[in-house]
Amino acid sequence: MNPFFMSILLIVGLAIFCRTMYYKLWLLLSLEPAYRFNHILTRLKNVVIIALGQKRLVGRKKEWASGIMHAFIFWGFCVLLIRSLNLYGEGFVKGFQLPFFGEGSILGYLYIALKDIMEAIVLVMAGYAIYRRAIVKPERLHNTWEAYFVLGMIVVLMISDLLIDGTRYNLITHYGNPDHLHFLNNPQYGSEFLWTPVAVGAASLVAWTGEGANTTILTGMFWLHIITQLTFLNFLPLGKHFHVITSLPNVFLKSLDYPHEKARVLDLEDEAAWEDESLGVNHIHQLNWKQGLDIYTCTECGRCKEVCPAFVTDKPLNLYDFNESLKHELLDNADNLIKRGKLSAAKTAFGTLTTSILNTIINKSKLPVTLKAVETDPEQMEDIKARMAALNSKNVLVGDVISEDTLWACTTCRACEEVCPVTIEHVPRIIAMRQGQTLMAEAYPKELNVALKGLERNGNPWGIGYDKRADWADGLGVKTMAEDPNVDYLLWVGCAGSFDDRSKKVSTSLVKILQNACISFAILGVEEKCTGDFARRVGNEMLYQMMAQENIETLNNYKVKKIIAACPHCFNTLKNEYPQMGGNYEVIHHAQFIDGLVKSGRITLNKSFEGSLTYHDPCYLGRYNSVYDEPRSILNSVAKEELKELDRHGRESFCCGAGGGRMWMEETIGKRINVERAEEIVRQQVDNVAVACPFCLTMIEDGMKELGKEETIKTQDICELVAKNMV
Amino acid sequence: MKILTTVKKVVDVELNIHVKDGAIVEDGLQYVINAWDENAVEAAVQLKENNSAETTLVSIGGGDNTDMIRKCYAMGIENGIHIEDPALANADSSAYAKVLQKVYEKDDYDLIITGKQAQDTDSGQTGIILGEYLGLPCVSNVISIEVMDDQHIKVSRLGDTGTEILEMELPAVVTVSDSINEPRLPAMRGIMMAKKKKINVMDLAALGTSAEEVGAGAPQSEIIEFMKSETRQAGQKFEGDAAQITAQVVNLLATEAKVL
Ligand code: SF4
Ligand code: SF4
Repeated sequence: MNPFFMSILLIVGLAIFCRTMYYKLWLLLSLEPAYRFNHILTRLKNVVIIALGQKRLVGRKKEWASGIMHAFIFWGFCVLLIRSLNLYGEGFVKGFQLPFFGEGSILGYLYIALKDIMEAIVLVMAGYAIYRRAIVKPERLHNTWEAYFVLGMIVVLMISDLLIDGTRYNLITHYGNPDHLHFLNNPQYGSEFLWTPVAVGAASLVAWTGEGANTTILTGMFWLHIITQLTFLNFLPLGKHFHVITSLPNVFLKSLDYPHEKARVLDLEDEAAWEDESLGVNHIHQLNWKQGLDIYTCTECGRCKEVCPAFVTDKPLNLYDFNESLKHELLDNADNLIKRGKLSAAKTAFGTLTTSILNTIINKSKLPVTLKAVETDPEQMEDIKARMAALNSKNVLVGDVISEDTLWACTTCRACEEVCPVTIEHVPRIIAMRQGQTLMAEAYPKELNVALKGLERNGNPWGIGYDKRADWADGLGVKTMAEDPNVDYLLWVGCAGSFDDRSKKVSTSLVKILQNACISFAILGVEEKCTGDFARRVGNEMLYQMMAQENIETLNNYKVKKIIAACPHCFNTLKNEYPQMGGNYEVIHHAQFIDGLVKSGRITLNKSFEGSLTYHDPCYLGRYNSVYDEPRSILNSVAKEELKELDRHGRESFCCGAGGGRMWMEETIGKRINVERAEEIVRQQVDNVAVACPFCLTMIEDGMKELGKEETIKTQDICELVAKNMV
Repeated sequence: MKILTTVKKVVDVELNIHVKDGAIVEDGLQYVINAWDENAVEAAVQLKENNSAETTLVSIGGGDNTDMIRKCYAMGIENGIHIEDPALANADSSAYAKVLQKVYEKDDYDLIITGKQAQDTDSGQTGIILGEYLGLPCVSNVISIEVMDDQHIKVSRLGDTGTEILEMELPAVVTVSDSINEPRLPAMRGIMMAKKKKINVMDLAALGTSAEEVGAGAPQSEIIEFMKSETRQAGQKFEGDAAQITAQVVNLLATEAKVL
């Protein structure tokens, strides 16, 4: 078209874009490290399924329409990438064709056909998106001008491209192709027009305007398309649409820990860390770069808050705002953080690099440091440290950036993470911030003190004497590991199952089942201690490590290999977190174990349970460990009636409100989460609700009591239903 | 203001305590800081935080109390003294008070805060006897302390008929009730930092006294035997409406209690 104009546009457009990206990248690099470059194949698989396949958008039944809408816009853009390259080429060379996409191969034809239909689909989808935002107004969405502006640009891109083709066809077919425009033509596959019905349609719309107008429209649309595209590209990094660029890398770099990045085992013996206050996260620079990328990538779609039990019950935890606030803090401090990052690199390199290289790093980046001494000069080190400290943001994250109530409202249920289309991990960040609050700032809800003290002294949050831990098993004929360490399984009872009167009945039922199936098992008895789950979720890494160390020592002493856990929180900690500290066991939750017993015929159920029944998925069994089918299979073998699912079940089940240490805190703001859940169960008109977690049992039962429904809707653990219906 | 506070290590009363042959079975026992002393420490730390004060704690006997004292450091106490002497094995409240008197005399303290009693012996004497030995005013069962000026504090105490508010001239002794505050958990950062902090461990000689002087050799009271207290029988629960419950209660009063 016009190589000169094209060059100017490209140079200006790309230069601005690269500058923005360079800055954003530097900012990420100034944050804490995270290693995310292992298991490349798994990572690519994630990209294919989650990002390219748009799994969390199209796979979500509740919102299939908007999911499909987004997926098609995304896929449309992917398809159009090739077309764009062609257009840029066209700017320089008339009739430019990418290799393999010309008329010589079927690929060229297939591509133009696909591009043609995709443009129509994207246009329809963009129309639907505008309609949805403007008319339907789903609550979770933030209606901003930015969203409309981007949708507008998408519409312009599609229409302009269709008109480029349309006018080109008109000039070729109606006006004898005066400019010798190029089009695909091959005796075998025919001419281009046969493959592009939508562009042909567009052509007919403007055919009447005449040769001159068609020529003008063609040129106009071409430059409009290019300019819009470059504007679009430069607009993306400025707001929530940055996700168009960052989503794929964000999914690729997502933590491969299951189900999310595990809390780091902090080195609590590191005196310097205590002095520098670098344990946990209290300032923005303490986030790692992947958490920074998460913040860049948030699409502001609001799916997370919509499923968040805290948000739904009016707690001041709105993940959208949470991300926004962190993003502002990050960007507001960007200049200082980047300088800080460079200093930090210099500090790490100190001693391994020569002074001259170090000088170059620092002088080139115009930092206020002059290096006069050689390697590992402690004074210089202190100097760098002090300068770094001076560059820290003055804001503490909790208090200045987000409120304490926000941080402590989270039940760590992971519903937000499960729905986030771009795999943002909220919970590890929340736990790290809680660590900062608990370890460094001593600013955690003081109501936790009783439970924490109980844990420290007697190994259980109730603070009941540790010597009473096995009292529940009196007279049941249960052995302890001390009595017989050669059993096949260790039954991990947990604190609730040992001390809470209601849960003790569940433990008794479980014992009955195991005995009925002639399983060789024992308990640790008074040697068992809380796994430390709750301490870790409230950021008390010190107490967690204490509990974990003592338990691992006991378990390893007895050479325990297989554990049946009667609580999903214990299950998750034993299975997924103890390996970090040298505790490696085969851990199975009682629902899985019982299901195995039923399937292998070691216990026989007589499907005699009367009344309708539903199941409440515990977060730490479901979302944390993907155990969804086994409990359902057991319940279907016990109950005469088919299991009725709750509205929110499986991956999108709704928390009972007890996780993340919330069990030990009062719920004073908003509606009670357990009541919200109990109401949902009541709406389902069932006679029974089954659970598989002692905390869910307490919370749901309390919720039912609050609603005066405890007599009409019975809450029981799966064990109890099985024990009562065993042959 | 200089504050001296006392802490004692006691058996964790959450545990089942077994008695055999007139003695407590040590096996399986664990020891914790006396709950009322935790209140005393908290009270001292709060006074320090709200006024300018220096806090010192003293613990007596009980073997290695390092962990306990470090936790008090982590709560905010600045100095720790531990008196350990074999002669103190059977010490009673009077002997403890004598030792504390010696500690007091080594330095000028303005206020001594003790827990109102210890969870193990429950005698509630030490603080009061200390006041007597030192000839200082002493108020027990205190639920609030307020500094008026350098020389005076105002305290409230739970009396038999209600809350009594008293002004005391310093130096003075107070023993605190558990309603005075909710003790904080030791700061974790503090626990780590406290590892470097010194504890001043002394025996009686180093304190400038002897077993005879403090009366530890010949205690004024003596433990003869431990006995398990009778566990109270569980109460009875009645269910039904008011009329049904009344009928059941009347019936039991007539047939079982035979008072009707
Ligand atoms: S983990 Fe659960 S409670 Fe916490 S923010 Fe996510 S959805 Fe909300
Ligand atoms: S965190 Fe994820 S789910 Fe929440 S608004 Fe951002 S992109 Fe959407």
